[in-house]
Amino acid sequence: MFTHTPLRLATLALLAAAALTYAAVAGFFGLEILAEIAILAILVIALDLVAGFGGMVSLCHGALLGVGAYAFTVAANDAGLTALPAMILAIALSTALAFVIGAVCARSTGIYFIMATLAFGQMAYSFVFQSPLYGGDDGLSGAPRPDLSALGIDLTDSRAFALYALLLVALAYAVAAATLRSGLGRSLVGLHHNEKRLRALGLTVWRAKATAFAISGALAGLAGCLAAQHTQYVSPGLLSWTVSGEALVVVILGGLGTLVGPILGAVLFVILKHEISALTPYWHAIVGLILIAVVMSRANGVFGFLETRLAARKPQPQVKEAKADA
Amino acid sequence: MTTDLGFWVLQTLNALQLSMLLFLLSVGLTVIFGLMHFVNLAHGSLYAFGAYVAATLSGTLGYWGGFLLAPLAVAVLGAGLYFSLIQSQRRAGPMAQVLVTFGLIFVAVDATRLVWGDLPIGIAIPSFLDGQIALLGVEYPIYRLFIIALGLAILALLTLVLTRTQVGAMIRAGVDNDRMAACLGINVERMFFLVFVVGCALAGLAGAVAAPVLSVTPDMGLQILIPTLIVIVIGGLGSLRGAVAGSLIFGFVQTFGAVLLPTLSSVLIYALLAAVLVTRPEGLLPAKG
Repeated sequence: MFTHTPLRLATLALLAAAALTYAAVAGFFGLEILAEIAILAILVIALDLVAGFGGMVSLCHGALLGVGAYAFTVAANDAGLTALPAMILAIALSTALAFVIGAVCARSTGIYFIMATLAFGQMAYSFVFQSPLYGGDDGLSGAPRPDLSALGIDLTDSRAFALYALLLVALAYAVAAATLRSGLGRSLVGLHHNEKRLRALGLTVWRAKATAFAISGALAGLAGCLAAQHTQYVSPGLLSWTVSGEALVVVILGGLGTLVGPILGAVLFVILKHEISALTPYWHAIVGLILIAVVMSRANGVFGFLETRLAARKPQPQVKEAKADA
Repeated sequence: MTTDLGFWVLQTLNALQLSMLLFLLSVGLTVIFGLMHFVNLAHGSLYAFGAYVAATLSGTLGYWGGFLLAPLAVAVLGAGLYFSLIQSQRRAGPMAQVLVTFGLIFVAVDATRLVWGDLPIGIAIPSFLDGQIALLGVEYPIYRLFIIALGLAILALLTLVLTRTQVGAMIRAGVDNDRMAACLGINVERMFFLVFVVGCALAGLAGAVAAPVLSVTPDMGLQILIPTLIVIVIGGLGSLRGAVAGSLIFGFVQTFGAVLLPTLSSVLIYALLAAVLVTRPEGLLPAKG
């Protein structure tokens, strides 16, 4: 079950403080990177919710993000909606799509679940790539940023946009944490541990899985809207399975099933990507080697490693046991 | 167009050629999975490596030098991978395996870029396989017929080995129940190694024969990976018959989809995969009944 340990709270506070400080002092390039981190952070929060806690390792989250980005762009450009209703519409579409995928894949587990989500993700990718309606492989441009001039905020300014992106990360985190603390979140963790038992307890398994997947899809859709607003351009590449694979890598590097770890992973991944790609065009190989090393070390990512180290150092408090019995 | 017999012959041959290429790749992957429960996403990278080795060697040793040595080189690489990564990840669960081999793809793509560069490499077809031949009223490239024949020959050989020899019986026993097979005195570890290396060699062979018809680029392994995975999931993980059925289904749906329903072609194969996973989650012809 998901709890906010002191270490997790401290890491969150540290990340928030660092992000806000950086947003205040960084130049244009730094702010662009901050927005990029924020988009990836929302996506990996969404993925960790289902993969880390529910054991549903999804390779269609890139597609859910892409659907959100395209739906936002199309709703704003062609239907003439303003940014906020377009965002709501786009997120609703990703949510509905994720619910359907979750419901259909609910019976599959392990490698079959991975393959099934891959199939749905690639279906969406191929559809967008081939359909002339949505620009094909040229993509679409002209996604607007929300107009907050009534509040005196100009989101075309990169500093304001970075802060807005950080706010959305906080929102996504709050949604994920609230979901995990709710009855649904507990059922999800229970399903991961022992599906038969939860079934015997009377849980409608497919509905719980599909609902959790839908919430995750909503967050991925939100990340998509933010991505569209950030670059004001969407391409089919957003829906590709490699985006999902990269998100999974970030979740693993950060710490699967910790919710805080993947955010840390997103920060490290984007910074590493920019630092290494400045040095060598072969940065993917470095990321690959790091990934292999992390998985082979059997540590649960950077954050999981910290958690187990700290837990090993201090004696387990007795109170915890008593609480669990009560 | 569609009433012309030549059209159907041509497209059927194209579909068969794609199917046989996918068969060479998927058979190794699927038997490795059936036997070892190991998901090797880097299988496509082995195929790309085979293509590069074949392209490089064909310059000095001619086409057949590359054709014969590429599978060997890939088998040696596979053996190295087996002892460095695969063996220790055998019991680590599908998630860790997917991730380690996903990391390997990253490394492999950049390693090939580093050694061979970003530009596509061409490779010449040996002279007596070059050119076209008249077949049922259509002109068809001889080399593509050679791919079909090679695929069928490998299929026949594997069927023979798996169903008629003692090694084949041991492999089938291992796929069925590896613990029981070990109890009966079969050295399951050595068999795993053998199957893994042979699977790698077949991937290298696929790369070598594909090199002249496709361009040899660093991301060719990534491009073939998804079709290969679709083949083995549709067919049923771990079964030879499944790999054959999956390859044929993929080859025909892809080829005929592209000419008959061009706007829907790539959605079609994924829709088929989803339909199979929903109705028969274990695939059409699973290894275990």
